[in-house]
Amino acid sequence: MLYSLYAIVILILVYTARHYLFTLNRLFGFQRHPYIDIDTAVWPPVTVLVAAHNEEKVVAHILAALMSVNYPKDKMVVVPVNDRSTDRTREIIDRFCEDHPSRIHPFHRNGGKGGKAAALKGAMDLVETEVILIFDADYIPGSGLIKQLVAPFFDPEVGGVMGRVVPLNVGTNLLTRLLDLERSGGYQVDQQARMNLRLVPQHGGTVAGVRLSALREIGGWNDNSLTEDTDLTYRLLLAGWKTVYQNRSECYEEVPETWQVRIKQIMRWAKGHNQVLADYGLELLFGKHRATLRERIDGFLLLGVYAMAPLTLIAWLLALGLFYEGVAPLHGVIALLAFTAYAATGNFAAFFEIAAATRLDYTRQRICLLPFLVLGFVVSISSVSRACVAQLMAPITGEQFHWDKTARFRTTP
Amino acid sequence: MNPVLATLLLVLLAGILFTLPLLPALTELRLKRDAQPLNVIQQHAGEIRHFSYGFRSYIADLLEPLRECVASGTTAHGTMPGGDQYLLLGRADDTRLVSTGERTATCQLVVAAGMDVVLPDGITFAKEVYAAGEITGGEESVFRALLGEKDIHLGRASTVIRWAHAVGAFRAERDCDLYGRISSDREIQLESGCAFQRLNAPRIVFGRSDAEETSLGAETVPAPLPGGRRLVDEDLEIQAGEIVSANIVTRGRLHIGAGARVLGSVKSHGHIALEAGVHVEGSLISASTMHIGTDCRITGPVIAEHGIAIETRTRCGSVQAPTTVSAPTIEIADGVAVFGTIWARTEGQVVPQG
Repeated sequence: MLYSLYAIVILILVYTARHYLFTLNRLFGFQRHPYIDIDTAVWPPVTVLVAAHNEEKVVAHILAALMSVNYPKDKMVVVPVNDRSTDRTREIIDRFCEDHPSRIHPFHRNGGKGGKAAALKGAMDLVETEVILIFDADYIPGSGLIKQLVAPFFDPEVGGVMGRVVPLNVGTNLLTRLLDLERSGGYQVDQQARMNLRLVPQHGGTVAGVRLSALREIGGWNDNSLTEDTDLTYRLLLAGWKTVYQNRSECYEEVPETWQVRIKQIMRWAKGHNQVLADYGLELLFGKHRATLRERIDGFLLLGVYAMAPLTLIAWLLALGLFYEGVAPLHGVIALLAFTAYAATGNFAAFFEIAAATRLDYTRQRICLLPFLVLGFVVSISSVSRACVAQLMAPITGEQFHWDKTARFRTTP
Repeated sequence: MNPVLATLLLVLLAGILFTLPLLPALTELRLKRDAQPLNVIQQHAGEIRHFSYGFRSYIADLLEPLRECVASGTTAHGTMPGGDQYLLLGRADDTRLVSTGERTATCQLVVAAGMDVVLPDGITFAKEVYAAGEITGGEESVFRALLGEKDIHLGRASTVIRWAHAVGAFRAERDCDLYGRISSDREIQLESGCAFQRLNAPRIVFGRSDAEETSLGAETVPAPLPGGRRLVDEDLEIQAGEIVSANIVTRGRLHIGAGARVLGSVKSHGHIALEAGVHVEGSLISASTMHIGTDCRITGPVIAEHGIAIETRTRCGSVQAPTTVSAPTIEIADGVAVFGTIWARTEGQVVPQG
């Protein structure tokens, strides 16, 4: 029991150090934005896939935005991927298609396997371009975003690209404000630090791009994955392709406004991440492929993020158990000092990261909300742990692959 | 004291102590002082002409009075809605107003000329300068920003602080410092000793205009790139005269011998060295530094994460296929031509040939 606790504590310390490393890198390190200055080029043809499942509230916004982006009109085709929608999504898409018949080629899907990856897989017959961009329907791309996301593909090593997601409905309630802070930390610090340190920036499956030849090389979309974006990141990495992050390629999104929706979302992410960890974790660490040592380590740690939630709960239980058994680890005094030291620094690593992100974003007052992140932490740790337990029990309970779409809150246009 | 009261007081005190640190958070949650979405640039302010377009809109109301000044051969003063004072020049010899009446070390007026304008030496123009005709700047002058409907010609050792846009050609004599954005709808020419950051024009030439004038028109359009990738884990050398038809990615350094040709894009994690006469029919990307020898031709974007040096008579892009050259520091020799954008985040420098 004691050694199990030690092992978990060491893991927690590794993640703490990782938080500090990323934050200090963002604050003081060399920042890599190698492709952001490419503003003149012979722009390649590009297909923009817009994943839409019952998106009547938002799909018109993204299609209108895409029709006005600054990209050669004859080189960009938009493919709205209407995945078994039962609302007015199809009608709205078809109306846009009538107005822009040469620029919008809709893909309507009435049946088949559920999930975004399955829908994207189905739409690939309509894709003829080497560069593919992917947006979820609740995103609103700015005028220059398409060029910014296409630019990294001039690098023949790049297989995937990821832009920055920025919440639009920040001020709705406490949850949206906390998610805004989390997104800041996750993108402004975490993703960019991984880019700076040549680690593994994560493909987010939206505000993102993928190279067709790379996608074909790794076998296309994995429709058995709950997080097709994470799955894609790792398969690209194992095949010698890089995923790059463009922090200045920003795009608005809508974040969940209710805790129920947020819990569903984070549970899906946790299951998907763990699925990828099980599928590729060992191969990533020890397999024969082109990933560097630092990519192997960071990639594994990234996959283990969601597994840390139940491990932390287990560690708490172990610590309580040991306490009541009268065990004094590390002669008691050392343990007490270590505990105090961690309480003074380690506990704040994630908060420090988010605080640094808000500073980098030049926002001032929202940092005051930092203490409330404890609430988000509690919800996350319990939801993720539930997801992990459900996943472990799936062979017994017979739980099937199920993809939960994130509900939208925007007013219907 | 009553034990119940004492307990209540203790709970209350503990509650207050717990809530106190949360006061800023509760205040922000209630007042929503910083609850707006982050300001995402939706309209692509990164476009190099963004400021010149904005300035043209800003002075739109001055154009009619300016035409009247030209028609009547007079000058006019006034104040813009934003509070800036302006001077409208309606006669070619009105430049004397700048050189005599306004002759101070610093001109604090927005200057708008309705025709060609020749500006005196050594003046600092703290506000924008606009001309419906050509702008010829004096030597050792300092400009905040310039917008010329025809050519702009800066004298020796002049400085542009924010931006300049010429509808015609833009030319800077030697030793000019061009901070910010310099753009032209036709051509930019910088002489030796000029420092720059961001340039954009259909054609950008470095050095005297008589250098290799005939070859500047040579145009190539990127060929369709091969699909295959050649992955190399160590240093790679492509022999002189060799033709490689693939995209190349190497983890080490890359050396391409004289006259070699790569039909594809090239990426190296280390230093890239191109000898004379190399052709790359795709992009050229280094995660480190890059040295491009004389007479090379690069079709696609040229990107280095730390620095680029380009030797004379090399061409990047073409009129039909413009491209971007970008690195924190760029050293570029007389006689080089870039078609499109050249962007040195820290500093670019034009150096004499050889």
